[in-house]
Amino acid sequence: MSTHQTVNIVMIEDDEGHARLIEKNIRRAGVNNAIRHFLEGTAALQYLFDAPDGPARNGPALVLLDLNLPDMSGIDILQKMKAPDSPLKRTPVVVLTTTDDKVEIERCYDLGANVYITKPVNYETFAQAIRQLGLFLSVIQVPDPEAD
Amino acid sequence: MARVPGPGGRVTRRFKNGPDRPMQRSQRRANRAIFFTIAAGFVMLAVAAWAVVWAFERSQDYSQLVSHTIEVEAAVADLNRLDERIEAARRGYLLEGDPRFLETFETTASAIPVQIQRITDLTADNPDQVARVGRFRELTDRYLSLLRESIADKQAGGRGIRGASLLDEENIAIVQELRTLSDEMSLAERRLLISREAERRGSVQLSTIVASVAALLFLLVAAGTIWATRRTLRALAETGTQLQVLNEDLESAVQERTAELQRANAEIQRFAYIVSHDLRSPLVNVMGFTAELAAAIKPLSELVDSVEERQADLVTEEMKYAVREDLPEAIGFIRTSTEKMDRLINAILRLSREGRRVLAPEAVDMNALAEGIVDSLQHRIDELGVTVEAEPLPTVVTDRLAVEQILSNLVENALKYLKTDRPGRVAIRGRKHAGRVLYEVQDNGRGIDPRDHERIFDLFRRSGTQDQPGEGIGLAHVRALAYRLGGTISCESALGEGATFRLSLPMALARQQGSET
Repeated sequence: MSTHQTVNIVMIEDDEGHARLIEKNIRRAGVNNAIRHFLEGTAALQYLFDAPDGPARNGPALVLLDLNLPDMSGIDILQKMKAPDSPLKRTPVVVLTTTDDKVEIERCYDLGANVYITKPVNYETFAQAIRQLGLFLSVIQVPDPEAD
Repeated sequence: MARVPGPGGRVTRRFKNGPDRPMQRSQRRANRAIFFTIAAGFVMLAVAAWAVVWAFERSQDYSQLVSHTIEVEAAVADLNRLDERIEAARRGYLLEGDPRFLETFETTASAIPVQIQRITDLTADNPDQVARVGRFRELTDRYLSLLRESIADKQAGGRGIRGASLLDEENIAIVQELRTLSDEMSLAERRLLISREAERRGSVQLSTIVASVAALLFLLVAAGTIWATRRTLRALAETGTQLQVLNEDLESAVQERTAELQRANAEIQRFAYIVSHDLRSPLVNVMGFTAELAAAIKPLSELVDSVEERQADLVTEEMKYAVREDLPEAIGFIRTSTEKMDRLINAILRLSREGRRVLAPEAVDMNALAEGIVDSLQHRIDELGVTVEAEPLPTVVTDRLAVEQILSNLVENALKYLKTDRPGRVAIRGRKHAGRVLYEVQDNGRGIDPRDHERIFDLFRRSGTQDQPGEGIGLAHVRALAYRLGGTISCESALGEGATFRLSLPMALARQQGSET
């Protein structure tokens, strides 16, 4: 449990507007961790697993994941991250998406998602939810990828 | 998704109209012909039977006639014998004078009239014979009196022989005539017999011909009937097979069509789901950044305020107006519109989600269900002072949740669109009809213009004064659900006179394959 290392936030979100709103509200909650934003899955996976400064090689991270991506489903990313031999299996994943389908939610949790949040369309609720998420992010402990 | 037509209608209609009216007519004609032929056959049979009976009776008549003739002939022969015997007795007496001859003479003389009488009786129906018998009797009387005279002469001790020889002249003539007469009588009888026999033979022949012809016709008719019956039976069997094939075709057609509809429905559901889902994402942005804009107005208006306070000439009216009026107004409109759009998208999403739900048919106690709905609306019912009557409803095997949503939607609508100037009445009714169950929700509310009866079931469409909240989703939802349950929903109403919504469901909903998700 390294507390000296800053936790990077990796945001995988294809909608730039959503990403901006999420970032704004996280910052408003007083979270100042670095946020890396990816618009599509391939680049995100590359960063997560292979980048020298990515979470698999360098320091703890927290993933904000949208399920509707242009090149793949967020579920594929979740699956890869939570695979038994994955170095990122303990990295917390917050699924943040518009899908509120019961089956989809169950599937995400089954695959190992830590939190599932549906984006509320009503902006006040949305902003509040993200700010609360920010508060949540400021207190959670995130394990190091090579912890074991 | 609500516009997919029900699977039943068209197929049933096509079946009812039937393409084979002329064939039916010719079939009927053939049936009638067969019926008449059979009837004719039986008439022939009756004629043949009658002819046979008639011929039999005729031959019986003839044997009677033959025995009659023989009887007459025998009687005539007997008479001849008696005549001869009496002549012999008289001659014996005249020659020998033996009284035993006299005795024989007397006995015979008394027998002769009896015999004549017998012949008279036998031939009473024949005037010729009666005349002959009359003549015979006269001659016999004369003959007998001549004989008696000669006997009386002998008894008186006369010469007898001379008398006898004298008398013999007349005697012989009479005897000869008597013989001729008796021969004639016999001959007449025989001739009569022959003519009668010819007559009988003719009639027997005629009846034989009639019987033969009738029998032949009967045989022909029988053969024809058997042929026609066999043909009809074969046609019947063929029709049965055809019907079965048609039926199977129809079933498979219905199945195919149902599968098609289900596919189309699933496609529309998926489409609605994706569209509504993907519409949500940009909407989040619109609403989010509108909120950011709204938040930005505050510092901006503070700026304008403070600048106005310190250096009023830097702030134009236009600036003030833009910050204080234009911006909040624009943001307000964007907000209400996006909120409305959000509600509509959510409605579509809900509808599509409902369409994707796997139905679970079960026996639903509709009375309990209706009671539950009324209970849940009791607060509003009391508030509005509405009388709600729920008559006994038949049980149905269907998806409980779906039918509950339909019924509660209908009852809610009935309560929603009441007419303010009269006390509201809502009736829930149900009955079984032609293998289906009908449920009705009737109100005495403001009614629906007949032009809108289809439209109200369309998504986002409403009818009448828009004085009630709503998006025009309820009835679209109801119709989509009704279709999914294999049912239909229809509306009967006139403006200002209340409305009746009629839900028709199959008695039992078949268990279905679950659609995806």
